[in-house]
Amino acid sequence: MNEKDKYTVVEAPEGYSAPGFFATTLDKAVGLARKNSLWPLPFATSCCGIEFMATMGAHYDLGRFGAERLSFSPRQADLLMVMGTIAKKMAPVVQQVYEQMAEPRWVIAVGACASSGGVFDTYSVLQGIDKVVPVDVYVPGCPPRPEQIINGFMKIQELVGNEPLRRRYSPEYKEMLESYGIKIDK
Amino acid sequence: MEYSILLQELKNKFENSILSVDETADIFTITIAVEAVKEMITFLKEQHNFIFLTDLCGIHYPEEDKELGVIYHLHNLVANKRIRLKTFVTKENPQVESLVSVFSGANWMERETFDFYGIDFVGHPNLIRILNVEYMDYYPMRKEYPLEDATRSDKDDRFFGR
Amino acid sequence: MKTINSEHHLDLTKEDEKVYSTLNLGPTHPATHGIFQNVLTMNGETIVSAEQTIGYIHRAFEKIAERRPYYQITTLTDRLNYCSSPLNNIGWHLAVEKLLGVETNKRIDYMRIIVMELARISDHLICNSVIGVDSGALTGFVYLFEEREKIYEIYEELCGARLTTNLGVVGGFDRDFSPIAIQKIRDLMKELPKVLHEFENLLMRNRIFMDRTINVGAISADRALNYGFSGPCLRAAGVDYDVRVQEPYSSYNDFDFSVPIGQNGDTYDRFCVRQTELWESIKLVTNALDNLPEGKFNTEVPAFFMPPKEDVYSKMEPLISHLKW
Repeated sequence: MNEKDKYTVVEAPEGYSAPGFFATTLDKAVGLARKNSLWPLPFATSCCGIEFMATMGAHYDLGRFGAERLSFSPRQADLLMVMGTIAKKMAPVVQQVYEQMAEPRWVIAVGACASSGGVFDTYSVLQGIDKVVPVDVYVPGCPPRPEQIINGFMKIQELVGNEPLRRRYSPEYKEMLESYGIKIDK
Repeated sequence: MEYSILLQELKNKFENSILSVDETADIFTITIAVEAVKEMITFLKEQHNFIFLTDLCGIHYPEEDKELGVIYHLHNLVANKRIRLKTFVTKENPQVESLVSVFSGANWMERETFDFYGIDFVGHPNLIRILNVEYMDYYPMRKEYPLEDATRSDKDDRFFGR
Repeated sequence: MKTINSEHHLDLTKEDEKVYSTLNLGPTHPATHGIFQNVLTMNGETIVSAEQTIGYIHRAFEKIAERRPYYQITTLTDRLNYCSSPLNNIGWHLAVEKLLGVETNKRIDYMRIIVMELARISDHLICNSVIGVDSGALTGFVYLFEEREKIYEIYEELCGARLTTNLGVVGGFDRDFSPIAIQKIRDLMKELPKVLHEFENLLMRNRIFMDRTINVGAISADRALNYGFSGPCLRAAGVDYDVRVQEPYSSYNDFDFSVPIGQNGDTYDRFCVRQTELWESIKLVTNALDNLPEGKFNTEVPAFFMPPKEDVYSKMEPLISHLKW
């Protein structure tokens, strides 16, 4: 077997190549770099956090996708993974952590409780974190299997790879953030 | 140490406070008047070795006269005996003496009972809400309040069968 | 204005307040696993006193359970201690069986012991590996989580779910242990000692780990009893109390196992108590599996028993009780 066939490398984006150079758009090149090196912030509060720990383990390795370095500080993270039930007491904390993250930032809601309140339709549980932060991908399940979490992560990678570079400066984006009550720096 | 001997000693010391005795439940249970709670528990802890407070919780029976109750579970680890003490208070005057000086573990348990039922523990060093948000203005575990959040606006009644 | 949280809180005078600094170990700290907040008063790097705020994950289980039928509350108990869900399920079933006055036969008791001890192994594997992670040793975590995957496979054979298991019904189990499940349990019990030895070599006599955990967070036996501790934390403080020995439930008194006791109640003692309990659990599971008696896997309590499908389609009473669920 050829040496090269043993390893799978990331697919190159569309572009024009000739001997000595490869030309593609800046969006795609930056997207390719970003999506294979996302640094997640595991905001794990309950049972889905244990399934996330299993996903980070050796069996279902999330590190294969470039997410080996977990960042517990929002200043250094790209992806906020909210896993577990968010109570109304915790909601301002989630919003504050989201505000502290630097652009570009994505949010994935793992589990039924983070997506919509889950089993707990009570006075104390926030019925979905999309009441306080804008969410990109929802992963349903109670708890979702590690394969589902990886599937959600791959969807985030798709979003990251195809994102236009000017999206975060557009007025529609700023309007959306204001509708959640999230303070913008500029 | 038999329960009947213990009951006799308690009756000798606190004649008027023991309101009823229930030996049919799985744990030996006595219902006492609210004034004797701290004295009786201190007596049980120091004289009869009930040094472990397993639980301190509240309960609400809306049909009774005295609606709110506090239930104490004590455990004697050496002789392996358990005892349950119940005391009831009214909603208008829900004062019970605090056990913080007897058992340190009662500190957070009493805060939780206050948070959910509104029972005022006299002598507690820091009686504020523990599990719910600070600005909550009602006591959620009382039976008249609903489970679900009353301020939710996005529930469609067609899907929920109402 | 400082609020007083416990009798050990300091009363600081105005001059003293300048010496101490305040640090907020907020609710999203990795070492507290994101559930409670500590406002620390520190003298340099030593913590002098702390004030906690909890309730960031309050989900109102008791209020939900007020209006659910008994078998639906099992799913709620899963989520109380999600590292070892079958233990909570079986605890709830034991309580309901006490109320109903139902006695389970030996086979059900032994099957329950196997499941409960597997859950205990799974929980202690998390606790011990995460002590390593919190002090920077990530290797042990990855090794032990591979063993937890095998325990998850066993749960899937028994009840279909990995983490929130909803295992069993009031009165026993809804299906017997299949031969695949028994084989998987035996294989796991053979492999677990090797992995535990490797893990112990890594951490137990490791100079760095010992320096970080000995005499850290020490609690005396009197204080532990006063605060109402139970479980491994109480045993690490030196109190000889284990519910399985004092008030045996589910036929634990048929088995001979020892209960580890610590001396100082510090983090290292808690780690060692949990590690020793892992070894005892392996012995218990192997004994229970070797001596598993014959019998029915369910006591068929009328309101809680799902009749087998052949009877549902051919007889009247099973049909009625099936539709009443």
